[in-house]
Amino acid sequence: MNDITIRIAGANGDGIDSSGDLIAKVFLNVGLNVFAYRSYQSIIRGGHVWHQVRISQNELHGPGEKINILVALNQDSIDLQSAHMAEGGSVIYDGSKSNVDALKDRGLNLVNLPMLDIVLKNGGDPLLKNVVAIGAIMKMTGIDIGVFSDIIKSKFGKKGEMIVNNNINSAKAGYDDPAVKNIMELKGDGKKRYMMDGNTALSIGAFASGCRFYAAYPMTPASGILHWFAAHQKLGVVVKQTEDEIAAINMTIGAASAGARSMCGTSGGGFSLMVEALGLSGMLEVPIVVVDSQRGGPSTGLPTKTEQGDLLFVSHASQGEFPRIVVSPRNIKESLYVGAEAHNLAEKYQCPVIILMDLYISEHAESINTFELEGIKVDRGKIATKSDGRFKRYEITTDGISPRSFPGTPGLEFIAPSDEHDEYGNLVTDFNAGIDKYVGIRRQMHEKRMRKIDTMLKEEKGVFVPDVSNADAEYFFVTFGSTTESVMEAVELLSPSGKKFGIISFKYLMPLDVEKTKALLSGKKLIDVEYNFTAQLAYLIKANTCIDISHRILKYDGEAFTGREIADKALELVSKW
Amino acid sequence: MTDAQYRSGEKPVWCPGCGDYGVSAAIMKALGELNIPKNDIMVVTGIGCSSAISGQFSTYGIHGIHGRLLPIATGVKLANPKLTVIGAGGDGDGYGIGAAHFIHAARRNIDLTYIVMDNEIYGLTTGQASPTSLIGMKTKSTPFGVTENPINPLSLAISAGATYVARGFSGDPNHLSMLIKNGITHKGFALIDIMSPCVTFNHDNTYDWLRKRIYKLEDQQHDPSDMAKAFEKATEFDRDGSKMPLGLFYKTSKPLYEELDPVIMEGPVVGRSPPTTAEVEAVLKEYM
Repeated sequence: MNDITIRIAGANGDGIDSSGDLIAKVFLNVGLNVFAYRSYQSIIRGGHVWHQVRISQNELHGPGEKINILVALNQDSIDLQSAHMAEGGSVIYDGSKSNVDALKDRGLNLVNLPMLDIVLKNGGDPLLKNVVAIGAIMKMTGIDIGVFSDIIKSKFGKKGEMIVNNNINSAKAGYDDPAVKNIMELKGDGKKRYMMDGNTALSIGAFASGCRFYAAYPMTPASGILHWFAAHQKLGVVVKQTEDEIAAINMTIGAASAGARSMCGTSGGGFSLMVEALGLSGMLEVPIVVVDSQRGGPSTGLPTKTEQGDLLFVSHASQGEFPRIVVSPRNIKESLYVGAEAHNLAEKYQCPVIILMDLYISEHAESINTFELEGIKVDRGKIATKSDGRFKRYEITTDGISPRSFPGTPGLEFIAPSDEHDEYGNLVTDFNAGIDKYVGIRRQMHEKRMRKIDTMLKEEKGVFVPDVSNADAEYFFVTFGSTTESVMEAVELLSPSGKKFGIISFKYLMPLDVEKTKALLSGKKLIDVEYNFTAQLAYLIKANTCIDISHRILKYDGEAFTGREIADKALELVSKW
Repeated sequence: MTDAQYRSGEKPVWCPGCGDYGVSAAIMKALGELNIPKNDIMVVTGIGCSSAISGQFSTYGIHGIHGRLLPIATGVKLANPKLTVIGAGGDGDGYGIGAAHFIHAARRNIDLTYIVMDNEIYGLTTGQASPTSLIGMKTKSTPFGVTENPINPLSLAISAGATYVARGFSGDPNHLSMLIKNGITHKGFALIDIMSPCVTFNHDNTYDWLRKRIYKLEDQQHDPSDMAKAFEKATEFDRDGSKMPLGLFYKTSKPLYEELDPVIMEGPVVGRSPPTTAEVEAVLKEYM
């Protein structure tokens, strides 16, 4: 067996997350690919939560479907999770706490592990129950128990010998318990891999590109970025938790105006509050990066569940017209590069860049073989060094980009105004509104800003077009952002079907190189796949290219897309084509 | 240096007789006396008649959006604490739409000078009630009189943690200039609330009305280090509408935000080079 899924389920407060991380780490450390995904609730104690780790020798693109090994820490976990068991799967439970009578005739491997009993013999910390289960999992999958000891020593070494020993002894007791039998051999390649979630990758990428300021108000699922920067601020990043998202984006604009690469992050609700200042960034031509990690909407919606429902919102948010870039990383590795690229694009084109994440990519963790850091270059765009006479901050240029200056530099002072202005930054409103000369300046200045879109399309070759895989396929999935990974998995699952499927995936969504995008989409059999009700990507494509994608696979219940469900629906659509 | 170098020379937008002329003159005078290089000054304003004061400056500046000048100014200061950052706006901007930022900027005790031109009316939108309009005031939006109690920016600032709280009068630019100058040199969040009459839309709180009520705290040996006395003076007009003290109500010394932040204390983040590949690799190693 070369692809298994392990799920640990219990209540909030049972340490499910840290146990999930430990399980993933065990398999990562022997050189296997892992994909970790969790389901949680907006409550701190009680309820029902689970963490799932899929393990394979091959690269993974999804969280797995059926559970091969379930660790059920309470009765709820047996009752609620048994429907998701794979045929012949194993259920690890504690017979002194839970009843598995309902599972008896299903051909499952029921492992009655006295977790509580073992814990009481090893210091009594109830969270050690999970560690007993991890020991059992290692025995069942043929992993040397020494792997766990190494992880615990490096993770808890600082907490003292007793804690380390209690953990190691608990895991060993689980490993050696007579109820636990080896059922498979999972062999890794011994290679070292990274494991991180999308928020972490994005944060590291932004840091690598020289981001020196991050502001946010806590909001799931973007809080991980705030936590990352807070934990790493001593690397030289000013981190500010603000009174609200309005303050977060306005501080970001202030810090960027002072000359620091600056970013803020939130989810859709917080982005709603940021909208006015997004336009300020467009008007002042101050480069900022804004992360919207989407969750189920509208309103507070599904706080702990995923969605891609903000695409059209972020693409058009704020009054008036101004250039902006919208980019949606398609996997965790790409999130790191996007975190870096976004700052270059913002500063080169002096406009806001919105990174569109979602809960799924922000919060699930994956193993990653390597990162190519050499590709990360820093380009701060045009910066003025001197001026003959009064500095023209908003100089009308052919490419629309006016060199900027930073406060502190003598001779390049200017006032950046939110009102329409001339090349110096003087208002063309107030006294000048409606006067012919200033009407003309407004026209020129608006055209200057909007011209930056043409410039970026010209200069950033191949960036603002979707990627195509399996170019000779008969059918093409059209998708964007994190859904791309689920679609990749679907394409793998569809390969025995005899129909050939390809993928057209969008990373950059705004601006779009309309001619090239149209050429790529034209004449193909297209199936739009996205995580929302209204097919927002299809809408954007139609608005730009007049191509209507009427075959659609849409989901909006908050649970992760699986490759299987996309594959099944695709075959159904194809059968009626 | 003279104050002329800080002036852009642009024609102000204000009505003849507007209090904001006096405020502009007082800020320029304070800057001239302090002799700060103009390239090290960042003036951040919001939206409203008074926020148009940004156009008067030849320094660096941002004329932002309504109510958000304090977060913008805070961002500037956090990125480059070497700059002298001055926020300037009106009562609607700071005590209405931006009230949350006002409280949080005060409690942060970041080294900003916040100048509020308080005319107790919305001028730019042609005369609606403001958060400092007095009960009963008839405006376009309150034809039967204001029914909400006015915000008291002074007592609010003191309770929120501001470390320099003063009130000036635009009809007395020399006194006002002294308050602003001391606010700029004060290490911490300084509020200078300025009674700055709107001659067009506020016919209640006129220069004459104010002159009948104002007196100077320094003439009464007020001790600005005494918080209880500061509250007493800050609320005097609320209790007795016939007296309005001007001057420095409260001043104290608290650690600056910039001194407590583990990154800023090591110097500005602007101008730092991006991390090296080795530094990024070291971070990545945590995830292996």
